[in-house]
Amino acid sequence: MEEVYIVQAYRTAVGKSKKGKITFVRPDDLGAQLIEKIVQKIPNFNKEEINDIIVGNATPEAEQGLNIGRMISLIGLNSVKIPGITVNRYCSSGLETIAIGSAKIKAKMSECIIAGGVETMSNIPMGGWKITPNYQVAKNHPDWYWGMGTTAEAIVKKYQITRIEQDEFAYHSHMKAVSALKNNLFKKDIIPIEIKKTFLNQESVIKNITYSFEEDEGPRQDTTIEKLGKLKPVFAQGGTVTAGNSSQTSNGAAFVMLMSEKMIKKLNIEPIARLKSYAVCGVEPKHMGIGPVEAIPLALKQANMSINDIELIELNEAFACQALAVIKEAHLNPDIINVNGGAIALGHPLGCTGAKLTVQLLNEMKRRGLKNGMVTMCVGTGQGAAGIFELLN
Amino acid sequence: MRKKINNVAVIGSGIMGSRIACHFANIGVKVLLLDIPYEEKDSIKNNNGQSVRNKIVNTSLNDTLKAKPSAIYSKLFASRIKTGNLSDDISKISEVDWIIEVIIENLEIKKNLFQNIEKYRTPGTIISSNTSGIPINKLIEGRTDDFCQFFCGTHFFNPPRYLKLLEIIPSKKTDPELVSFLMSYGEKFLGKTTVLCKDTPAFIANRIGIAGIATLFKLSYELDMTITDIDALTGPIIGRPKSATFRTSDLVGLDTLNSVAEGVYNNCPNDEHKDIFKLPPFIKKMLENKWLGDKTKQGFYKKDRDSKGNRKILSLDLNSYEYKVQKKTKFETIEKAKKINKLKNRLPELIKGQDKAAQFYKKMFAFMFAYVANRIPEITNDIYKIDDAMCAGFGWEMGPFALWESIGIEQGIQLIESENLNQPAWTKILNNTKSFYKIENGEKTYLNINKNSQCKIPTLNKFIILDNLRTKSLIWKNQGLSLIDIGDGVLNIEFHTKLNSLGKDVIEGVQKGIEIGEKEFKGIVIGNQGEHFSAGADISMIFTLIVEQEWEKLNLAIKTFQNTSMLIRYSNIPVVVAPHGLTLGGGCEFTLHADSVQCAAETYMGLVELGVGLIPGGGGTKEMALRASDLYYQGDVELPRLKEYFLNIGQAKVATSAHEAFDLGYLQKGKDNITINTNKLIEDAKQKVLLLDNLGYTKPIKRNDIKVLGQEGMGMFLVGADTFREGGYITEHEQLMCEKLAYVLCGGNLSSSTKVSEQYLLDIEREAFLSLCGESKTLERIKHMLEKGKPLRN
Repeated sequence: MEEVYIVQAYRTAVGKSKKGKITFVRPDDLGAQLIEKIVQKIPNFNKEEINDIIVGNATPEAEQGLNIGRMISLIGLNSVKIPGITVNRYCSSGLETIAIGSAKIKAKMSECIIAGGVETMSNIPMGGWKITPNYQVAKNHPDWYWGMGTTAEAIVKKYQITRIEQDEFAYHSHMKAVSALKNNLFKKDIIPIEIKKTFLNQESVIKNITYSFEEDEGPRQDTTIEKLGKLKPVFAQGGTVTAGNSSQTSNGAAFVMLMSEKMIKKLNIEPIARLKSYAVCGVEPKHMGIGPVEAIPLALKQANMSINDIELIELNEAFACQALAVIKEAHLNPDIINVNGGAIALGHPLGCTGAKLTVQLLNEMKRRGLKNGMVTMCVGTGQGAAGIFELLN
Repeated sequence: MRKKINNVAVIGSGIMGSRIACHFANIGVKVLLLDIPYEEKDSIKNNNGQSVRNKIVNTSLNDTLKAKPSAIYSKLFASRIKTGNLSDDISKISEVDWIIEVIIENLEIKKNLFQNIEKYRTPGTIISSNTSGIPINKLIEGRTDDFCQFFCGTHFFNPPRYLKLLEIIPSKKTDPELVSFLMSYGEKFLGKTTVLCKDTPAFIANRIGIAGIATLFKLSYELDMTITDIDALTGPIIGRPKSATFRTSDLVGLDTLNSVAEGVYNNCPNDEHKDIFKLPPFIKKMLENKWLGDKTKQGFYKKDRDSKGNRKILSLDLNSYEYKVQKKTKFETIEKAKKINKLKNRLPELIKGQDKAAQFYKKMFAFMFAYVANRIPEITNDIYKIDDAMCAGFGWEMGPFALWESIGIEQGIQLIESENLNQPAWTKILNNTKSFYKIENGEKTYLNINKNSQCKIPTLNKFIILDNLRTKSLIWKNQGLSLIDIGDGVLNIEFHTKLNSLGKDVIEGVQKGIEIGEKEFKGIVIGNQGEHFSAGADISMIFTLIVEQEWEKLNLAIKTFQNTSMLIRYSNIPVVVAPHGLTLGGGCEFTLHADSVQCAAETYMGLVELGVGLIPGGGGTKEMALRASDLYYQGDVELPRLKEYFLNIGQAKVATSAHEAFDLGYLQKGKDNITINTNKLIEDAKQKVLLLDNLGYTKPIKRNDIKVLGQEGMGMFLVGADTFREGGYITEHEQLMCEKLAYVLCGGNLSSSTKVSEQYLLDIEREAFLSLCGESKTLERIKHMLEKGKPLRN
């Protein structure tokens, strides 16, 4: 088998989906600009050596439909020769694509692949424009279609997570993210995106402005546990899951460039890291938040490692309650999880998240001089995913 | 004077000012709302620049927009109001058609404002004051002729959207043409009962109303009665609002009440009952304590919570000044009177007994009759103006003279005499008069005191008053319904059951009406002038049939209801339904089936059947499926539209205005219209019938092209209902109701979307309705509603 390496890993800053600087930016434009700039980072690289663009996306319809993977390739690379595909495993899509790309190169089906994900949650409602469950399933197993918030409340019930635990977890997520922002820790992750905006000013005159988007919008310096405690539950009467202790809805893109050993030698490129293992699993759909508990051991086993070998973890914070339940049930060390904040503070652009967390993980491992790290997340309709990365050099 | 009002400026953004602004926005007028600028204090740094200057007006308006019941018909209308401040924006008043002053009740401050307004006002612009106590003639001192000519008092009542009175008070210099314009505009455009008043202190309604409240303050002492006792005796039992006396005072504010009372005391030296306006010592004490009512969170009443956190209402003990839970006293008089349905027949009973309540009523009525009698001609020459003002301004069902007539004119005079109260000369000649009002030839007349004869009550805009036509033009009637010829070939179908609920008599009557109408009339109006159009189907009948397990009879009853709805739409003549007030359940279903709806702005419409464990079964669910289908377009994803209608019924949403009923899909643009003044509703509906007839009305063809979504739609609703149940938002029984509702709205569990007929949908609607009738939890809900008047969640 051919060895495969990550040679580039970048993300855009993550924007808030409702009020943010990039609410109107299309996901294809966002993804295209990012891959264009990633490719430009390698001097004298012939972009037509890329074999495929694999794009994760959790709601591939409307602006994200029409095989957005192919559109991102066409718009971003200005060549018809590089194909594109869209992959959907909801919240692990961005990690799944890295696994698919790695596997294809390992199997010598490809030499070079750009893999990652993109999502803009501003324009497309959760679940899409037309939610049409299967009638028989809806009758017999309606919980297979429950909204994610409802599954979060089910986790609260099953694992006895309190409101205050959730709010404290959310608070710390924000504080860690605020501190990371202050210390410019994400600078190495992010490629600034140039935005052009045409709008009507207060006098109804058409105006054009351009600006650069380069800083995460989610973290709130002013939040407190008291403020979080005042928010009303949104998914259940007398529930504990609030907008404040759930992940934010966001827009963002993240991609890595994968190359075969042969190719990096030919181009004399220094590899950053490699994906050692990746596993997905299924759990009860109504307890989807617990997915990582099943997926982590599978990924560890594949890599022939124990949980103690993992030095840094990005555990996607879909909801504080499920993150807390996963930490408890999988016996994870909270000190090495989401050290720069998680999705509650930084946002969760669904299909992009897996790749975004990978970018963050690799840069933080490098900063800390660590070798083995993991990205893991729960996935809708009862799934979990975990990927283990090894930082090289 | 032909004037058009498109822009008004309201100056002063307090409770009244911002609510008046909202009401003009309600009727589609652009409003400039101004107040004094926010002056920055050293300690408060502003970072918003200009908008900080408007902080006072913006805060007031935002508070008003949040208040419930809403001051505005639809949240979207708020954008019709622009705010500003008197320093930066006063020049903008040059562009408006009408300037309305609603600032603090202080003559000098008002005069200064008018002086300033005069600098910017364009000559010929209407200017009015909402003062409730300052003489209009004093306000115009020092102003130019043009200002005085176009100046008038226009006194709204709080809350101005809901209280119907608008007092018009001209000064000596007001152009008479302006007065008639304002009288007519207020009635037609603002939906008010306009009453022309003389420029006497507190005008009509507050003068009489506050004298009434003040005398009750006194009576509570004399007869040693608690405030809860007095409220029990002065509420709905005598045709007044539930807020009765002291609760009304809390709503108005004791400070306002006191200032009006003081105004009358100081300015009416010849009022024979002037002393009554010198309010008793406990009022002074309450004012000192700032126990003003709702605005300070406590007045005569105070809301509190017990140790378990349950709400309780405490009332003030006037002897000890403590808030206490007060027991309701049982009065024999009240127990007897309660059994009499009609106010007119109930009133004479109240003074027959010997208990404390009867003593109370004798004293109260004696004072009221004497007081209003003495006010003629001081505050008005005409008795009907006092009655109109009290009904529209204080929400009384009957004004003082009408009430007096019900008790008996002679009995009233005897009451006055036995209390040794002064009465004017004119009451002496009433000996042989039996009535203040008469109906002659379909028109109402009143006793003109000057002429000592009955005269026609003048009208501004054309109204139809069913009560006046009842004897002259009745075509047919049964216990629950009357068919009245309202002229020009139009028949009116009027319900008159309790809360206008729809039972057997009404259903039969509607069918009879359409049968007669098709033979002898051009068209039909279904409308009435009760408090509400209809609170829905008579569920006691359904309850009985369920308890007796008479399923066949129940099936037939529901089928007859459905057929009646269908008859409303599929008759040979145009049928216009004219709802107002509560229009719920079956009342809403009838409305949905009209050829056209003429709807009062104050209509509260909704399909609320889930509250009693059922789904709309009189064609309402069918109709919403049909309406959703009509809105689908090629390439439409369809489901979200149907979901809106599902949620309307599933959450038993009730529109808080006719405009909101459009938003909910119960009224339809291009077909249905709104009448602002409820009194004008039947006339407008009649005109619409004539228009439809004129345009060449042809009976519509029954529909068989309704697109239903089948399993495609049901999947989403089943999951949605399960999610809501899991989240604890609905009970298991409610989940079942949602599933039944989804079944009908989706046309059953068909494998693919299909075009179906109305009858198919009616049949599955009835099937779903009947299956819910067989559920014990539905029976519990109906029973609870019948016993407690409130929905049960089980």
